[in-house]
Amino acid sequence: MAVEAVGRSAPRVRPFARLGTGVLDVLQVLGEASRLFAATLRTVRFVPIDRQRVVAQMVRVGVDTLWIGALLSLFVGMVLVVQAAEQVENVTQEILGPIVGLSMTKELGPVLMAFLLAGRAGSAMAAELGSMTVYDEINALRTMDIDPVRFLVMPRFVAATIALPILILYADFIGVTGGAVVVAVDPAITIPVRSYFDRMLEWVHFSDFLVGLVKGTVFGMVASILPCTFGFRTRGGTEGIASATTSAVVWSFILILVFDFLIVRVTFAL
Amino acid sequence: MATPAEKRERGVAVDLRGVRKAYGDHVVLAGVDLAVHPGELLAIVGQSGTGKSVLLRQIVGLERPDAGRITVGGIELPRYLTMPPEKKPFRIAMVFQSAALLASLTVAENVSLRLRERREKTSAEIARITREALEHVDLAGTENKLPGELSGGMRKRVAIARALAVDPELILYDEPTADLDPLLTEEIGKLISRIRDRRGSTQMIVTHNLPLARAISDRIAVLAEGRIAECLAPAELAASRHPLTREFLRASALEPGSTSC
Repeated sequence: MAVEAVGRSAPRVRPFARLGTGVLDVLQVLGEASRLFAATLRTVRFVPIDRQRVVAQMVRVGVDTLWIGALLSLFVGMVLVVQAAEQVENVTQEILGPIVGLSMTKELGPVLMAFLLAGRAGSAMAAELGSMTVYDEINALRTMDIDPVRFLVMPRFVAATIALPILILYADFIGVTGGAVVVAVDPAITIPVRSYFDRMLEWVHFSDFLVGLVKGTVFGMVASILPCTFGFRTRGGTEGIASATTSAVVWSFILILVFDFLIVRVTFAL
Repeated sequence: MATPAEKRERGVAVDLRGVRKAYGDHVVLAGVDLAVHPGELLAIVGQSGTGKSVLLRQIVGLERPDAGRITVGGIELPRYLTMPPEKKPFRIAMVFQSAALLASLTVAENVSLRLRERREKTSAEIARITREALEHVDLAGTENKLPGELSGGMRKRVAIARALAVDPELILYDEPTADLDPLLTEEIGKLISRIRDRRGSTQMIVTHNLPLARAISDRIAVLAEGRIAECLAPAELAASRHPLTREFLRASALEPGSTSC
């Protein structure tokens, strides 16, 4: 009723305060991630000693990403050919090879595999470290004079940074092969498979692979440091772990795209 | 073989002066003064939320006090914490309320974790120390189990074995008997007493369990309103006039005339 409506006034919306809080939160996450990145770089020199942990993490990252990465790349390569064939129908289908090759090596391979790594391995990292934070396991390490950054973050960081460029090469290969399969079997495509590969080899250079690998290295760092940052930031119980995991994946996706833009901008300027 | 008196010398003294800690406006520790003698087993009791666990976290260095001074073994805590592990003259271990075992490691890997990471001992030595620590807590034969396969009481004992494996001069226990039934509580209590008698480490135990504190400790410190309200021997407990201590005694059915079923 009217009396109730007056009594229960709607909460005041303070958009500027919320915006300010949001900006501060973003800066805080970026600051913590930067500090963790710097701390992790300082422990990278222990890789030879801690190689077993690094290899174990590389196997985990690989297993998490390999099969679904293959499936994803295969279909992306196939879709690219079908879509591009439609677009270039009135020009020439000879450019299908370069389109697939350049797209996969420079953009789609790195970004898709980085998203996959962040979504699967990254979310697992955030959940695992989050759980360890909530249940005092990280504090237990500290009380035992064991550096949690060296023990937990460095192996994941090195594993992701090495594994992602390799996974990108693998995705490039599978994607290009997927495109070739469509070229071979789709009656709407009139060029031979050999022509698809010949034109691709004319257009795709080593520098294109290199750009993809640089992206892979940077994205691997992002997709491991951010989940670890959110893992260490976790507060509360199960809900906190779930929230940290979601935030880690979302933030990783955003920062991967931000760094993608920056790398593209820099490489175009060179 | 060392006499009990000699063993007690292995522990280190802990001294807190005016330790304060607040989270925002909420003052948890409002100036704690406490002296723990080498080899002593001190129980800290108090109501939930009075800062007992916070106090332990200051002593082990997981948090820094806002004010006050903590010395362990005569060394200022900040100086001790910044020492390289191999230069530290004594070791501090903590047993967490949740046991805080690493879920992906086996019992033996959890117990030997610090020793393996330090790489100062041979594999055979580490295996021997791990075996002895597990035997000490009556968990021989569980080496290859994962924490998830153990009961709550066993996990707590593995956490104690992990603490013992580093041969600490000071052991801090945060609610070691929380969530345990009375029989397991008694078992953990006996284990902590045995550590005092055999090893002589200084031990500080935070607990709600007044009967346990009374049964095993040398002194009991009552934490109330962010300060040590009183610190007394178990035998003096019944004569305490402090309202919180009396309330605890009544609730624990230790006070004559308290009601029971």
